[in-house]
Amino acid sequence: MAAVAAVKPYEFEAADRLENFHGNQLLYIGWDQHLMFCAPFCFPLPPAMPFRAFVEQVLPGAFGYHPEFKQIDWSKAEWLASGQPFKPDWDKSLTDNGLAHKAVLRLRTPGLTGIKGSAT
Amino acid sequence: MDMPVAKKKLGLKERYALMTRGLDWQTTYQPMDKVFPFAKYEGIKIHDWDKWEDPFRLTMDAYWKYQAEKEKKLYAIIDAFAQNNGHLGVTDARYVNTLKLFLNGISPLEYMAHRGFAHVGRAFPGVGTRVACLMQSLDEIRHSQTQIHSMSNYNKYYNGMHSFPKMLQRVWYMSVPRSFFDDAVTAGPFEFMIAVGFSFEYVLTNLLFVPFVSGAAYNGDMGAMTFGFSAQSDEARHMTLGLEVIKFVLEQDPDNLPIVQRWIDKWTWRGYRVLTLVAMMMDYMLPKRVMSWKEAWEVYFEQNGGALFKDLARYGIRPPKWLDQIEFDKDHISHQAWSTLYQYGGASNFHTWMPSDEEMDWLSAKYPNTFDKFYRPRFEHWRDEQKKGNRFYNMTLPMLCQTCQIPMIFTEPGDPTQTCYRESTHKGMKYHFCSDGCKEIFDHEPEKYKQSWLPVHQIYQGNCFNPGVDPTAEGFKPLPVVLDYYGVGFGRDNLDFEGSEDQKNFAAWRGAATTNV
Amino acid sequence: MSTIDLRTVTIKPLRHTFTHVAERIGGDKPATRYQEGTFDIQATHNFHYRPTWDPDHEIFDRARTAIVMKDWYAFRDPRQFYYGTYTAARARQQETAESNFAFVESRGLVSALPEAVRHLALELLLPLRHLEWGGNMNNAQICDYGYGTAISQPHIYKAMDHLGIAQYLTRVGLLLADETALDAAKQQWIADPKWQGLRKYVEDSFVLKDWFELFVAHNLVLDGLLYPLVYERIVDDDITMKGGSAIAMLTLFMTEWYGETAKWVDATIKTAAAESPANAQQLSQWTREYLQRGVRAIQPIARHALGANAEAVLGDIEDQFKSRVAKLGLAL
Repeated sequence: MAAVAAVKPYEFEAADRLENFHGNQLLYIGWDQHLMFCAPFCFPLPPAMPFRAFVEQVLPGAFGYHPEFKQIDWSKAEWLASGQPFKPDWDKSLTDNGLAHKAVLRLRTPGLTGIKGSAT
Repeated sequence: MDMPVAKKKLGLKERYALMTRGLDWQTTYQPMDKVFPFAKYEGIKIHDWDKWEDPFRLTMDAYWKYQAEKEKKLYAIIDAFAQNNGHLGVTDARYVNTLKLFLNGISPLEYMAHRGFAHVGRAFPGVGTRVACLMQSLDEIRHSQTQIHSMSNYNKYYNGMHSFPKMLQRVWYMSVPRSFFDDAVTAGPFEFMIAVGFSFEYVLTNLLFVPFVSGAAYNGDMGAMTFGFSAQSDEARHMTLGLEVIKFVLEQDPDNLPIVQRWIDKWTWRGYRVLTLVAMMMDYMLPKRVMSWKEAWEVYFEQNGGALFKDLARYGIRPPKWLDQIEFDKDHISHQAWSTLYQYGGASNFHTWMPSDEEMDWLSAKYPNTFDKFYRPRFEHWRDEQKKGNRFYNMTLPMLCQTCQIPMIFTEPGDPTQTCYRESTHKGMKYHFCSDGCKEIFDHEPEKYKQSWLPVHQIYQGNCFNPGVDPTAEGFKPLPVVLDYYGVGFGRDNLDFEGSEDQKNFAAWRGAATTNV
Repeated sequence: MSTIDLRTVTIKPLRHTFTHVAERIGGDKPATRYQEGTFDIQATHNFHYRPTWDPDHEIFDRARTAIVMKDWYAFRDPRQFYYGTYTAARARQQETAESNFAFVESRGLVSALPEAVRHLALELLLPLRHLEWGGNMNNAQICDYGYGTAISQPHIYKAMDHLGIAQYLTRVGLLLADETALDAAKQQWIADPKWQGLRKYVEDSFVLKDWFELFVAHNLVLDGLLYPLVYERIVDDDITMKGGSAIAMLTLFMTEWYGETAKWVDATIKTAAAESPANAQQLSQWTREYLQRGVRAIQPIARHALGANAEAVLGDIEDQFKSRVAKLGLAL
């Protein structure tokens, strides 16, 4: 990576470093083929939160408006973390699942293709 | 110094040269590098500032005269428009939302351009360059103020415009245009000129102004139309300056080419991303449409821009990167953006709505390959839900692109069903991007973009509450306090157009106008 | 729609001005265009990136000057200049200047000038083109680094005024002589000993870091000594007495401009000094320093133009300047 051309050293702390979030870390999640939600979501979550709590307590508030959300068969759901296949342990924490600050997840629900199959 | 018998009549060019060139001198009591400390650090090599061709030759006395005449005419129209309740003559009150977008998102940037051009004007050692830049600095404060003054009357009768300086600095989607300009003014003077003078003022300006100015004209808004037309002769000067800058820099030294090319790539992409808001405005917010975003892109970028880059090829410049993606995306971005502002309509300063049947048919006709397939089902679903009293307000904050700061709404090049994810790791931390363009811009200058004030993250850091707010209190609800911080009045400035105060007032006032006669 | 007579409707506005303007003018009431075009237009917070040209500061940063203000919008331009009023004022002045140039030219007043007067006018006025160019640079710098539109805005106007004045001086040169006179004057500016004090003063000001100090150095002190000396005492008094009233016609713009601009300079100093004893002290200290240097810098010019009378005139100018700044709250 190149350096910024500047009149003197040009280095700063990242605006979004972990310690700025009062004990939480950021986790992003998008639901593939469900673009009714225009973009993936961003959550500040305790690193110790079990993955199960994330799915069962956090996601409904975010994705619940979609009629297909109730139809998700979670046993068949597929996950990607940073684009790579990811097998979460539902009873382990975010940290123990290897999800660090600003990790990004993609949820895939085969068979659910959005409103009228339009990826909405 | 004998009295000359018959004076040689000076030509315009010669006379202008005497009026400007030669005013400067090589300083000796202070070293030139200290007097002009920003002229070299970007790596651009200038050997002879006198090779600068003045793009327009306007002495100050002529400038004052012409501009004062233009101002007089403009303010006469603004006054008449206000006195005659001209705002009641617009197509319908939905139109006013385009002005909210403009006043909050664009006018303060005109002001930033004013300060930016003052900065680079001072920074350049060349006289011709300095004068042209400072004159543009002066023009830009004009544009900022004539826009504020034109819209001042709208602010009296409609919501969403009352706190525009605060909103630009706080409201989430405003960080898109704002960070664009912050990026440009924090760059060195040459990059600023390529960013604003060339890429924005020359390559992309028509895509900003034609939609707004023609949009105003089509929708009966003489006030906004007039400031647009009045600014046009200034813009013509700015465009010639932008072009002269790039030619001058490229002619000075072959080493400048790769630096300039990278800036063209970067700033065309940055500018294009900001224009997403204009695309949305053109296709969804004008009750009477001028042309589609796609058509505008084809005319003003693909045709006009194509000719420009053909012309610049002799300097070794190639067209900007990522045009293939832009070409593919022109069928999508306006719909993706309107979907975004519609669902986050609880957190913004203007009203949104679902298009009518007739409007959807227009969109189908303009976007035959994509609208019915990908977007109509979404919109019809939302409209049905809205009728059932279940209007979609997305209350969960979105993931933003680290560079352009737009929520990650864009899709993979070639696959409009798949969100485009890109990421980089810098000093142990992940950064996320909406596109290859935004990722590459970050990767080149991570120390710059890691500073981004991303509205979503800032809310989660607790930086978007007014003093005295306690986010640890029981039952704390962030949205109302964030709106408070934004200066957005809940239920007045935000939410759907249907049922809004703007809608009711306009109907009542216009009704009074039509029955009074 | 053409059938609707919109004028017949009386509707009650929801508000009379913008929220941030209302907060500054004591409530929601009609505001002036100066107020709406000025108040709070500059960004103050949530900046995205630090400048590559100044990584120690934000894009706009209060810390770029030693002057401290609780509210940088305490400054008011008594001329109420926004772009529209500024260009209107200058357009009127340029119209007068234009007719004065035309008058001097059409009546052949230049050839009627005594040679000594013509010579002195060229020697005195043409090197000032470069000084005015310096004024353009310095005021652009203040516009760039200044904090808040109330104080940064008038500086772009003043920067361009200096350019305009440099161009009027160029026209004087072309009218009294030809372009070789411009080259000769530039040589004087660069090498003639009597101009070196001023050139050094200006070059030193180019590298000042504190923009308010620069304001004091250029707009308060340098303008405050030079304009009274050159345009009032030398041109309007001395040269006119020696048969050079045509020169005074050609520089009327400068005389009027200075009178008008000084009112705004005074208002600016007064507001900053009244804010706190620390500000007043800092401004006084700068003014003392630059006054001393400024008087020294203009001495050779005064002596060249006024001869034996120079010391008396300089003494007057310095006294007037001191009583002017005393009224603004400075203690020299």
